Amino acid sequence: MSSGSRSSKTKPIPLRVANKVAYVWDVDDIATLRSMHRVCGVLTGTLPHLSQQNVFLGVPLVLMPEEVVLLVDTGVAVLINDSTAHLQPTIPQLTKWSREQQNSMRSQLAYAESKTLREGTQSGRALSEEAQRKRKEREERKKAKAREQAIIEAEEAHEADIEDANGKSSGDSDPADSEPNVYMISSTSTVTPAKAAKLRESALKGGGSLSPIPSTSSNSTPSKPSTPTPSFLSSSSQPYTIVVPASSSELEWYSPTHSSAPSFSSFASTATSTYTTLNAARAADVWTYPATLTERARCGVFRGLWEQGYFMGVGIKFGGEYLVYPGDPLRYHSHFTATVIESPVATLRPMEIVAHGRLGTATKKAHLLCGWDDVKKEVSYLSIEWAGFG
Amino acid sequence: MDDSLEVPITEHRDASLLDNSVNDEDQASDDEEGVLDWTKLLPASARPVIPKRGEKEYEPRAAGGTSLQMHILDRSRNAMFDTLRTTRSTSSKAISYGIWHPTLARTEVTVARGIHFTTMGHSAPRTSIEEGATKSQKRLELLPEEAVYLIERGTLFCWKELALDPSKRPGLTELAGSPMSVQQAYTEMLGTEDMSLEKFQVFSYLKRLGYVVTRAIPPNNFYPTPPPQLVLERTESTLKKFATQFFKFFANISRPPFANLDWWNPVWISAWPHCNKNYASIFRSLRIIPAGHSISLQPPQTTRNWKDSTPYRIFYNLYKPATPFKKSAPQHPDFQLVVVNARTTPIPTLEELTNLFNTLPETPLPGPRKKHSQSLPPLAQAQPNPSQIPVNQQTTSNLTSSLSEITNTSNRLFTKLFPWLFRSSTLPITPTTIKNVQKPNPFVALKTGKKIIIVAAVDMGNISFFRFGQGEFTEWPMM
Repeated sequence: MSSGSRSSKTKPIPLRVANKVAYVWDVDDIATLRSMHRVCGVLTGTLPHLSQQNVFLGVPLVLMPEEVVLLVDTGVAVLINDSTAHLQPTIPQLTKWSREQQNSMRSQLAYAESKTLREGTQSGRALSEEAQRKRKEREERKKAKAREQAIIEAEEAHEADIEDANGKSSGDSDPADSEPNVYMISSTSTVTPAKAAKLRESALKGGGSLSPIPSTSSNSTPSKPSTPTPSFLSSSSQPYTIVVPASSSELEWYSPTHSSAPSFSSFASTATSTYTTLNAARAADVWTYPATLTERARCGVFRGLWEQGYFMGVGIKFGGEYLVYPGDPLRYHSHFTATVIESPVATLRPMEIVAHGRLGTATKKAHLLCGWDDVKKEVSYLSIEWAGFG
Repeated sequence: MDDSLEVPITEHRDASLLDNSVNDEDQASDDEEGVLDWTKLLPASARPVIPKRGEKEYEPRAAGGTSLQMHILDRSRNAMFDTLRTTRSTSSKAISYGIWHPTLARTEVTVARGIHFTTMGHSAPRTSIEEGATKSQKRLELLPEEAVYLIERGTLFCWKELALDPSKRPGLTELAGSPMSVQQAYTEMLGTEDMSLEKFQVFSYLKRLGYVVTRAIPPNNFYPTPPPQLVLERTESTLKKFATQFFKFFANISRPPFANLDWWNPVWISAWPHCNKNYASIFRSLRIIPAGHSISLQPPQTTRNWKDSTPYRIFYNLYKPATPFKKSAPQHPDFQLVVVNARTTPIPTLEELTNLFNTLPETPLPGPRKKHSQSLPPLAQAQPNPSQIPVNQQTTSNLTSSLSEITNTSNRLFTKLFPWLFRSSTLPITPTTIKNVQKPNPFVALKTGKKIIIVAAVDMGNISFFRFGQGEFTEWPMM
């Protein structure tokens, strides 16, 4: 159903590990994990524009360690040491990024201007003759000015481009980047593809064309938009939108296959930040999760229930380790609260049974005692429910 | 005006439409295991059917559910994923800028805009080398959690400090470092300066609710802290404490046989008129085993270094949203907070709790109801309300928090010194004053406790707040 599902067969999902916690940052990956692999995780980030509430949270998705172990063991996901995957950006990369930002700003300003102009002409009927005449005069003046400036700028920009290209070591300076008719597209490179589609759609809906240059100034045929360009952080009086990127994968200097770590002697040959097995991650001290008997038991129980088709959630608020859902927690209630017992011969106090039975009944769930046998690697389940006598 | 801003980012508009529906969600949010309906986040036009809030089904039918179930699930999921895809877009007029210095574990704020900086960030002097001369200059710095929170909100654009200064390169004059994503901020900033994911989750949870959150242990000398609270008698040396307790205990034991025992009245009934002849004083004289929190616990049998390794230490100071907060000179916090990882941390031991409470000031009792205080006689009104006694007075006098106790003790002292005085007409007055002042509900006081600590236990983003209070039953006799 979701867009990411098709590629999931071939490409493992990258889990970004930092400080022994695994995050998922790409929404497509979150969708794949949820729809294909029944792994929900916990959304923990502040939702942009809905940032003063705690009911709905956004990326990143934090995965339980048991989920990570499961996903890596089944080959669905790989671990990426995120701190070494962020490389030092090179100058050409920064230049490119900076240019993209500027292009984005310019196209936004141009679009905003064209919109205000369009709105102005639409509502022009309401204005008096006098006002209309004045406005026309103003526009004429502006156009003339813009034309002048554009010519000057075009020359300057041309020079700058040449300088730029000379100063660059690699072939990064794609001349197409500075062409005016790709402004719209290059501006969307900082946003997700879905956004870009929407953006284009809205542009069409709004009556505007894909042409980046506002229709009013198109007859002046400048090689640059009419807005002044020099500084995209400070000088422009017109506000525009700045996007703080969520995921690093859009950044050019983020590379999971490389490592910025000072090469350890033993790992010098494999300078990568990606680990496909738990053992490799453990050797590099990136991921150490099932280290104790308790942790092994938790992983075993988690996997055992997951393999039977259940969705698993965090159960701490219900007095257990996990909540066991028959379907996606978005739509279905959980049936069980599961407690992990480390060994089949572990002592279980009667009070625990009473407490679990009581709590389970009060929350309309059955309590599941899951005993892990570390020798046989098996789980045995026992459910507690109050008999409904009386 | 803002329309022009919304154009490239369509979700922006969607989001602003939703505030109402989110508020609705808030009220009923803690009903049942956080039943979330993401479809409510979509604009009304995209909602084919308005689902009842938090309606969940028992279980899907066999083989993944009926097609209706699948359809509803898909709609919920897609609404969720669409909301998650929202970008952090901010107007260039409102966004702040900062530079992350990994070696300092601080984010230097270069452009500070917006209301957040009235409660976040602190100024710290840093020496910089400019043209050969070292210069010390104060600048605004953010702690890791503050920086990540602001970046995540889309309020702060953060650069990472680069070895080479990009602003000197042609074409890069606007860059102050390498631009950071939210992901990079999480990766690099959490884990520094004592910050963990759990602590950050608690921080941002409370910030989203509007609380002012500061560190309880200043990370450096420039970090503004509330003035020290007077908890004098708790911090004296254990030896001295032991000595005083010992003598008190000894005096308690020795008193009945030597001081008060009257051979002609062995049952000590004749001593009653000297006291107030109420149950409280009788119980007090019967109490020969010392009780209360001022008596130190037995030192634990294990090694003494648990104090260094315990996760139960106060980490955040919390101020209610309504508090007028002054960043440079914060007042005493409304709450103090401990953050623990629920996966690795057991329930606090008695020693750990006592250790926490020993550093805390006594909180005043919850004040009496408004209508009660109006009906009080003028005599009692003139006396300070128990809830208004300044903290230092309580703590230095080594008495208990409630006024009644103070009155009682002084009464006892006076009766001992001048017994003839209390047989006269002054006696009947005291019970009435006591009655009027003393009558806060003992159960409220016992439940609230004298000292309060909040423990936030975090299991992978699932935060549970627990409130531990230290009350004293000996101060609230039921008679």
